[in-house]
Amino acid sequence: MTLFQSFFGLLQSGLGGLAAYLAAHVLLCLLPAFFIAGALAALMPKEAITRYLGRDAPKWLSYPASALGGFFLAVCSCTIMPLFASIYKKGAGLGPAITFLFVGPAVNILAISFTGVQIGLDIALARIILSIIFGIVIGLLMAWFFHKDDAKHAEAAAQSQLFNAKAKIPSHIIIFFLLLLGTLLAGTLQIGLFRNVFYEILIPGNWPSQLQSWLDGLIPPDPNLGIEGVSIHGLFLIFMLLLIAATAIKGFKDIFNGFNPWTYITLGLITLTLVMASFSVSTNSMGLVIGLNGRLIAELLLLGGIWWMAAHSFGVESRQEWLWETWRFVKQIIPLLLVGVFLASIARALIPPIWIQTLAGRNTVFANLAGVIFGVFMYFPTLVEVPVAQTFLSLGMHRGPLLAYLLADPELSLQSILITNTVIGKKKTAVYVLLVAIFSTLAGLIFGWFIQ
Amino acid sequence: MEIKILGGGCPKCERLEAVTREAVEELGLKANFIKVKNMTEIMAYDVMTTPALVVDEKVLSSGRIPSVEEIREMMIKFV
Repeated sequence: MTLFQSFFGLLQSGLGGLAAYLAAHVLLCLLPAFFIAGALAALMPKEAITRYLGRDAPKWLSYPASALGGFFLAVCSCTIMPLFASIYKKGAGLGPAITFLFVGPAVNILAISFTGVQIGLDIALARIILSIIFGIVIGLLMAWFFHKDDAKHAEAAAQSQLFNAKAKIPSHIIIFFLLLLGTLLAGTLQIGLFRNVFYEILIPGNWPSQLQSWLDGLIPPDPNLGIEGVSIHGLFLIFMLLLIAATAIKGFKDIFNGFNPWTYITLGLITLTLVMASFSVSTNSMGLVIGLNGRLIAELLLLGGIWWMAAHSFGVESRQEWLWETWRFVKQIIPLLLVGVFLASIARALIPPIWIQTLAGRNTVFANLAGVIFGVFMYFPTLVEVPVAQTFLSLGMHRGPLLAYLLADPELSLQSILITNTVIGKKKTAVYVLLVAIFSTLAGLIFGWFIQ
Repeated sequence: MEIKILGGGCPKCERLEAVTREAVEELGLKANFIKVKNMTEIMAYDVMTTPALVVDEKVLSSGRIPSVEEIREMMIKFV
């Protein structure tokens, strides 16, 4: 094989991974997840949660509230550090602050939904449950180790009025979140209710099978390596995504100057694409079979509800802020994610499976520790840890060490360790890092043992 | 007057600065803009969420981006 051929082969697996990823994962999972993250950042009244994080709040309230706060408030990195520092110095103290810091990156809505769709619901659920439990345990341990230091902040906390503001989450915001969350679940859950086809439409002709075999030649699916390939449905959805990207730039850029025609076109296209993606489409020798299923009905109802609520229950400013936050997340995350998926797909073709299998093919302490250490030293931008994990999975990594890696990667990058250091100092940071490493290893071990 | 924008330099802080500059210009005020990015300095003001808007050492808003009109009204009250 010449150098050119091997280079071409790598490029092909990179682009193939990217195309399969766009077709299968972005749409029904990430598109709603970005809108949810935007809504959490724009519409959620922060005081509804921070009122439980003051110095006077009892422990049984402040720790769970910190864990929840990680989910509701930590969607933006601008929020995490100031809130962490406030809880530590002027609020409930070191323990709840640590819980907040730990749980936030692990349970954010984008990471969880993406993990669930690309790697599996088991890992996504384990990621939520174990990070909440361990977040609280690590917080309690830190508070116990450093209880003398915490007493120093008591005076500053007593004078501060920061955490006294009271607010409740209005019911229309809760309903709106449930509708958005419903779109995500209806689009991604693989259950009979959504999957079963009740009516089929046949578009006759032999072009679909020809087009499909051309696509299979271009991006050969290989189940052994976890390479999915691209269907005709997928090709169509990629086309729609490119269209959305092109209109979104014009529609969302100056959202604060009001909705322009491009904004409506983009929102219309997104809705249409989500509906189109719900159909079950397959190819046979007769032609293209389009199946109507429960997913389609659920998405139609939910999207209709979202449009109605967005138009009637929210003011102009809330709508603009929601779309601005959503667009900000997309701009911040998607470009890096695409590069990450491309490189992870290339790595899948380059790394010999035997390496990963020897290192982390079985659920041992060493394998889990290897997962954690890899997570600490490799810094991947938000969400890129997921395609990286999928590459490891297809190369033969055990699901236990995989979870250990997925817990440690967002928690313990060198960058986040340095920032934490400036707030709580060297000694506490060192203990925290050590605890996270131990508990992530433990989480992987328990989970790996549990699924056997 | 001295206007401080507190925040680690995320897109929200830039947006807050742009909105504030617009409000200040509309009112025809002379203002000196300072960006505060250091976490310890930010914590000295009683804010728990950024971006925050501080005018002559008084916190006018935090954790959100007020509209131009809102900032204009806050400035008028303040001056």
